[in-house]
Amino acid sequence: MFGPRIVGDNGIELRPPVLEDYHFFSTSQMQPEVTRFWGPRFTSETPAAAEERLKKDLEGKNSVLWSIAYQGETVGFTGIFDINWASRDGETGIYIGRHDLYGKGIASEAVRLRMAFIWNEMNFHRAHNWIALANKGSWRANQKSGYSQIGTYPRSWFRSGEWFDEWLGEAFPSTFPPDKLPSPWRDKEHPK
Amino acid sequence: MALGGVVRGKRTTLRTPTEDDLAAYSSWMADMRVRRAGPIWREPAMPATWKERLKDQAKDQRGVLWSIETDGRLIGLVRAYIGGIESPPAARLQNFIIDPDEWRKGYGWDAALALHRYFFDYLDLKRGFTELRADNVAARRIAEKLGYSEFGRGHQVHYRDGSYVDESWILMERATWDERFGKTEREYVPFGAAR
Repeated sequence: MFGPRIVGDNGIELRPPVLEDYHFFSTSQMQPEVTRFWGPRFTSETPAAAEERLKKDLEGKNSVLWSIAYQGETVGFTGIFDINWASRDGETGIYIGRHDLYGKGIASEAVRLRMAFIWNEMNFHRAHNWIALANKGSWRANQKSGYSQIGTYPRSWFRSGEWFDEWLGEAFPSTFPPDKLPSPWRDKEHPK
Repeated sequence: MALGGVVRGKRTTLRTPTEDDLAAYSSWMADMRVRRAGPIWREPAMPATWKERLKDQAKDQRGVLWSIETDGRLIGLVRAYIGGIESPPAARLQNFIIDPDEWRKGYGWDAALALHRYFFDYLDLKRGFTELRADNVAARRIAEKLGYSEFGRGHQVHYRDGSYVDESWILMERATWDERFGKTEREYVPFGAAR
């Protein structure tokens, strides 16, 4: 399923994906700059298949997905996948498909919005993720919203003659920094 | 891939699953002892649904399913994901289920050893990894004996019996297999100089 629109700071928001976003995801995932730490950089997805994937994601009961927009334009996606409803746990992920925007804090803000929704609207108990250890920007973005490292998976990715380990993280509602709660949850008029 | 072929242990044999196995599969998935010990493959269902699931499994490009038997009796199943394009070729054990009425007879160890021999001595994989519920002592013993070690631990991951239990992520490298079992566990007698 798709998550609702959540407006954050600095022109960043999460919003339900549309078909054009799926085309952007497909093409951006073929770029060397954005696949340094993620994905094999090949695909079997045609434009028609992208539409099928959107329908499947929309109907899927074990994930909540968003597009990430920066200044009104879709630049990536995030979500929680493989949800275990009994344990109220799921795997989170994030992807920024515009490498010219790296370092602007987009991922940090998207993670903050995503986690606020997961804890406050889905009543989750836990979330977890795996991130390339060398992708500091990504795991730091997650750390800022309460993730901590629980292990390291050795030699997970091979790139340009180097093996990269993977950073294993988890977060709980109690580890989310209360002073970072975004709107609408921090708003005084928001019903408690 | 998809449906595994015969892998012989000393007391157990991993073999290709058939439709005749499905009633037992369904009963294990409904058994609270199995559900407590680790992840089940699929939820209990009607026979027609299980047949569809077996067909789907046969089409799976990377997931391989075996039935486990001893003395011609079905006693379990094992399912592994075999892959590694960007990472070292590896097997990720997804389900390893022994009929609870057959627990504590050594079948789990025997089947696990045979399966890992297939991974390392036949498929030439570089590692195996899986996750265990932290309180599953029997599975942990088998894993440690094989050579697995923990590389991560998730806290309060699985909810059952009214509380959460941790999850242990474990990994076994090919070098460990070679060191512990490389000289004694072989799929075939090496040809050696006769090649």
